[in-house]
Formats: sequence, C-alpha cells, structure tokens
Amino acid sequence: MLMSQEAAYQDIVDAVLNFDSEKLSRTVKNALDLDEDPVKIIEQGLTKALRIVGKKFEDGEFFIMDLVAAAEPVQKVTKEVLEPEILRRKAKRTTLGRIVLGTVAGDIHDIGKNIVGAMWFAAGFEIFDLGKDVSTGQFVDKTKEVNASIIGASALLSTSLPMQSEIVKATVVAGLRDRVKLMFGGAPVTEEWTKEIGGDGYAEDAVQAVKVAKELLGIEA
Amino acid sequence: MVQRGIRSGHLRLVTRKQARDIHMSSIEVLESVGMDCPSGKIMKVFDDAGADVDFKEKRVRIPQHLVEESLKKAPKEIVFCGRNPKHDILLEDSRVYFGMGGTPVPYVRDIDSGEMRRPTKKDVDEATRLGDALPNMKFIMTIAGAYDVPYQAEYVHEFESLFNNTEKPILYSCPGAFAAKKVLEMAAAIVGGADQLKRRPIIALYTETVSPLAFSDVNENMIEFAKAGVPVANGPMPMCGASGPMTLAGTAVQSNAENLAALTLCQLVSPHAPNIYTDWVCIMDPRTGRCAYGAPEFAMGTSVFSAAMGRYYGLPTYGFGGCSDSKLPDAQAGAEVMMNGMVAALSGVNLIHDCGYLAGGSIGSMEMAVICNEIAGMITRIVSGVRIDDETLAVDVIKNVGPGGHFMSQKHTLEHVRTELRLAALFDRTSEVTWMKAGKRDIRDVARSKCKEILREHRPEPLPEDVRLRLGEIVKEAEKELVRPS
Repeated sequence: MLMSQEAAYQDIVDAVLNFDSEKLSRTVKNALDLDEDPVKIIEQGLTKALRIVGKKFEDGEFFIMDLVAAAEPVQKVTKEVLEPEILRRKAKRTTLGRIVLGTVAGDIHDIGKNIVGAMWFAAGFEIFDLGKDVSTGQFVDKTKEVNASIIGASALLSTSLPMQSEIVKATVVAGLRDRVKLMFGGAPVTEEWTKEIGGDGYAEDAVQAVKVAKELLGIEA
Repeated sequence: MVQRGIRSGHLRLVTRKQARDIHMSSIEVLESVGMDCPSGKIMKVFDDAGADVDFKEKRVRIPQHLVEESLKKAPKEIVFCGRNPKHDILLEDSRVYFGMGGTPVPYVRDIDSGEMRRPTKKDVDEATRLGDALPNMKFIMTIAGAYDVPYQAEYVHEFESLFNNTEKPILYSCPGAFAAKKVLEMAAAIVGGADQLKRRPIIALYTETVSPLAFSDVNENMIEFAKAGVPVANGPMPMCGASGPMTLAGTAVQSNAENLAALTLCQLVSPHAPNIYTDWVCIMDPRTGRCAYGAPEFAMGTSVFSAAMGRYYGLPTYGFGGCSDSKLPDAQAGAEVMMNGMVAALSGVNLIHDCGYLAGGSIGSMEMAVICNEIAGMITRIVSGVRIDDETLAVDVIKNVGPGGHFMSQKHTLEHVRTELRLAALFDRTSEVTWMKAGKRDIRDVARSKCKEILREHRPEPLPEDVRLRLGEIVKEAEKELVRPS
C-alpha cells in the first residue's frame, strides 16, 4: 500500500473512532478519489474501525452510546456513498451472510435491535432490518425472499416475548427451519429462554451477538 | 377508616423555580414537537379539543392552554381503596406508602430451591397473598407473572389473581381498550357496579407511553379508565442517553411532557378524572444497556422529580423504591433498596413501588419482598422524624433520676418505649451467642421462613363465591376475544 493510500485508510479509521460523521464522509470520498476500491474501503477501513470499537467496548473503555455513535455514520456512508459506487462499478461485496432483523409484533422497543444490527453490519453481514412491531409472517416472508441465513428477533415486553416462540414455529411451518438460524435478544430474554423455545442463539450484548452469529454459521472469528 | 400516610418531603433537590423551568420546557416540547400517536381514537380526542393534530403524520401537538386547563381539572387528592375499606389510603401532598412489586417479571426466585424459574399464575396468587400479609405494603402490584396462560390474556389473568388474593388497593397494567374494559368490569363486579367503582376505586391503571414522546395503541386503556373515573398512572421509563437526553433534568423534561400529554388525554376524555402523576428519569447502564434500578441516579431520577413536579402541580404521585439490580437478596440488594426506598420516602412520592424486584425487574423474589417490608418499616420511622416538645425533652425526668441513676423503671420510659422506637420485625439484633445457638441463620434464610409461614397461614377474606365465579367468567370472555388464531 502506498503511503497516501495508507494515510487515507487511517483517516477513515480515525473518523470512525472520533464519531465524526462529516470527516468520515469526507475521508471516504477522498479514498474513492484516490481510486480505491469501495469494497476494500468497507473491509479495510470501516469494518476495521468498527472492530476496534467493539474491542474497546469489550474492554470497558467504550460505552453502548459509543458503539451507536460509531456505527451510525458507518452505516450512513455505506448506504449513501459506497453501495451506490459498488453498484456503479458492477463490483460485488461478499458478505458473511444475510440477516433478517426486527422487533417482534406488539413491541416497539428498537434501540437494542438497532445496535445489534449495526454491529452485525460492521462485522460484514448484510442486514435486512424490518423495523419494529414486525409480524411473524413478515419475518418469514423476508427470510424466503432474500434467502437469509439468520433471523434476529428482539423483544422487550413479557407480553411480546412469546412472539419469539411463534417465529420458531412459523419457520418450521414454512419449511425454513433447517436453513435459517434463529437468534433472540432483548432485556427479558436469556439463553435458557432461547433454548426453551427452540431457538439457536442468544447474546448478552451486540458485540457478543457478532460472535454468536459467526459461530452459528461456522465462520471463523 | 382511611389510612393517612406519614407526610414527608424533607428531601428537596428541585426548587419551585426549577420545577417551573421543567414545566415550561415540557410545554415547549409538547407545543413544538408533540407526541407520536398511532391511535386514531387518541388523535380524535385531541383533535376535538382543538389540539394541533396531523392525521397523516400521526402527530399530536398540544397547546399550553389545554395542558394548564387539564392540570386544573385533575383531582388533587385520591382515596385509593382496598376492597376492604380498612386498607384505603389517602394519596395527596407528600404522604408515603410502599407497595409490593410492579409489572410482571420474566423470572422468579423459587422459594424452595432458590433457583431462577419462569413464574406461573400460582406464583402471582402467592406473591399477592404475601403482599396482602406484609403490613408495610400498602398497595399491591406483582413480583411474579402468569406465564402459564395464553400470553395475550396474561394481564387479565393476573388481575383475577390479584383480586382473589388481596384486600388492599391494586395498581396494575392492562394493555389496550378491550382488556381495560374487562378489568373495569371485574372491579365493578367486586364493589357492586360501575358507579360504586368510581366512588371507591379499588384499582388504578398503570400504563406507559413509549419514550421518546409516543403514545401507542395500548394507551387507549387510559381512555377507558378515565371514562370510568378510575385512577390512571402513566409512567414511561425514559433512560438517560438512550430514550431520553443524557442529563437527568433533560429526561425529566421529556418524561414530564409525556405525562402531561397523558394527563391531558384523560382530562379531555373525562374532566376531573383522577390521575396519578409521575416524572420518571431512568438510567441505562452504559456498559450493559440494562435499566439500572439500583443506580443512585435512578433513585433521584424516579422519585425526586416525581415528588417535586407533583408538588408543583398539586397532584398525587408515584415513584420507585425496593428494587435492586442484584440477582440475589444479598448485601447489594439491601443497600440499593435502602437507598432508593429512603430517597423515595424522603422526597415524598405517594406510591413507592417495586418492592421485591431483583435483577432490574427481571426476577421477583418473595424473600426480598419480606426484607423490603422490614426496610420500609425502618424508612417510615425515619421519615416520621423526631418529636420535640416538653414531654419528650424530659427535663423533669432527668432531674428526678439525677447523676448515677437509671431510667429503666421511670414511668416516662414505660410510657414512651413502645412509641419512640420501631423494633426490628425481621432483622436480627440478638447477641452473637444467641445467633450461633439459633443456627447462625442468614437473613435470606430468615426471610424465606417468614414467607413460608405467611403462605401457610395468611388467607385474605375470600371474595363472595358468586363474585369469584363472575371474575372467572369475565377472564374466559376476555381470553376468547384476545386469543385469536393469527
């Protein structure tokens, strides 16, 4: 890598670590001007930076707010700048897999779900975020449509928790159960609950969720 | 006879001027941003009253005059009734009452095994019966949950359980208009009709707007309760830095805005309907993302603002105390509960709820509830303060006894020993030798024995057979409607 290239990537990483959305947008455009490959910018700039962020969170240096503040600009610049550029160049970004994500029916608490989505994205998954109050049918339909490898469903209320169990049943009925992994999260959710309802994965926080998703798909960390 | 709780309000961290600043800031938020409102019914109420309603955007902006008029209309005191009138409590000013539990918890700590497990309706029955027996628990919510009934009808089942197992006032949730109607029907069946229920509200609704600044469809329950003239407590739990601003004051502004919106809704539906006011500021632990019930800022945030703003508006109030982030009834739990219970009581919020909550509301513990009952007794003693007058200054007694004597047999001593001190009912003040001889028991173990004794012996007055059966029928009717194949 040339010095100027190296510096360009370092600028991107710095922008993410400083939660500086404006600088990130500028440095990404700068890298594109240097004719850097947008796929490479994602993988060696953005993802690398978010891995550092995840590590800092695990070490207790960063808070959840820092995770979100770092991840949101990364998602934004990817959607608005890099993905269109990838399309234009007819390039292809290989992802770790597709994840359908949402907060279950009857529940509109989505902050945690968004954080997990951001970290999965950062790790290299392609995310289909269906938002909040998502019906079981919507989870199943989207999974079929995009051939997702994982469904991630979040619930915060004791009354919406059973909807996670409904998702398990619905994937069985739809004949999807053997080709999609089911991950559940939310404040009242535990590993035991996930097992009890026949799900595949549970994680205590967003950083763990990345590890669990990779494990479930047999991807090396 | 109505119980008149001790007046408190000794702890004042918010001045009247600051309360006004919070109020005016909330008004600005309600007028300029307003509340999201997916419910057509709720939008219509505001639209009919002349609020700025955008039906397309589903946003309700509420002008100051509607809020101020509503605040004037809301009753300044509520007698929150038990189905047995001896449990009636007067909510006004800074009178404090502790209450058992909160909304349903996903786990309970099993009283026999000490392990965490999924609760059932039977656990709700038992927790309620325990709360009914604990003398310092003046109103009842839950530290369990009916996880063995169809989840769509969970709250209706839990209400049935509460009605059957306590004679004390019940503060509880039931999401949506339909469940609210069924619960009101149950309460009316107990007191002898809807008119009587309005006179003697044996229940109050606990519901939550969704922070930041959103009504949800389930909030239509407020309309039903307001129409019935039964108290409504809206208590959203915005968490600083997540669903509210990072500063306690900022989240207080937002939380207050949501509560003023809810109060205005109730007053527009039914002028002079009783509202119980909250201004809760909750804490998200920035490392775990969990709502930190044991945080010092949580204690201040949930009680200090509720008490201060409640005082500013002259409304009955509702706060937190008796809850912990610990998973066990241990030293952490004891410390956190004493802290948030004390802050709540010293602030002077009327209803102090969540006694028996562990793991930030994820685990209900009957042992912890028994320990909270003891702590509530200690706190109540402190809040009641020190009596200082000629009788208690006891100068004549001091003169009489003189140097070198003793006070044990003085008439003054015998007259005051039973009133001056609050004796330990659960905690151990015996000598180490006595303690060793008695089996070196940990307080958790003592509390467990106490629970078992209460569950063995305490039976509240059962509802008349026909009423009990009627409640069962209402639950069945509700279940039929609520549990529909999707």
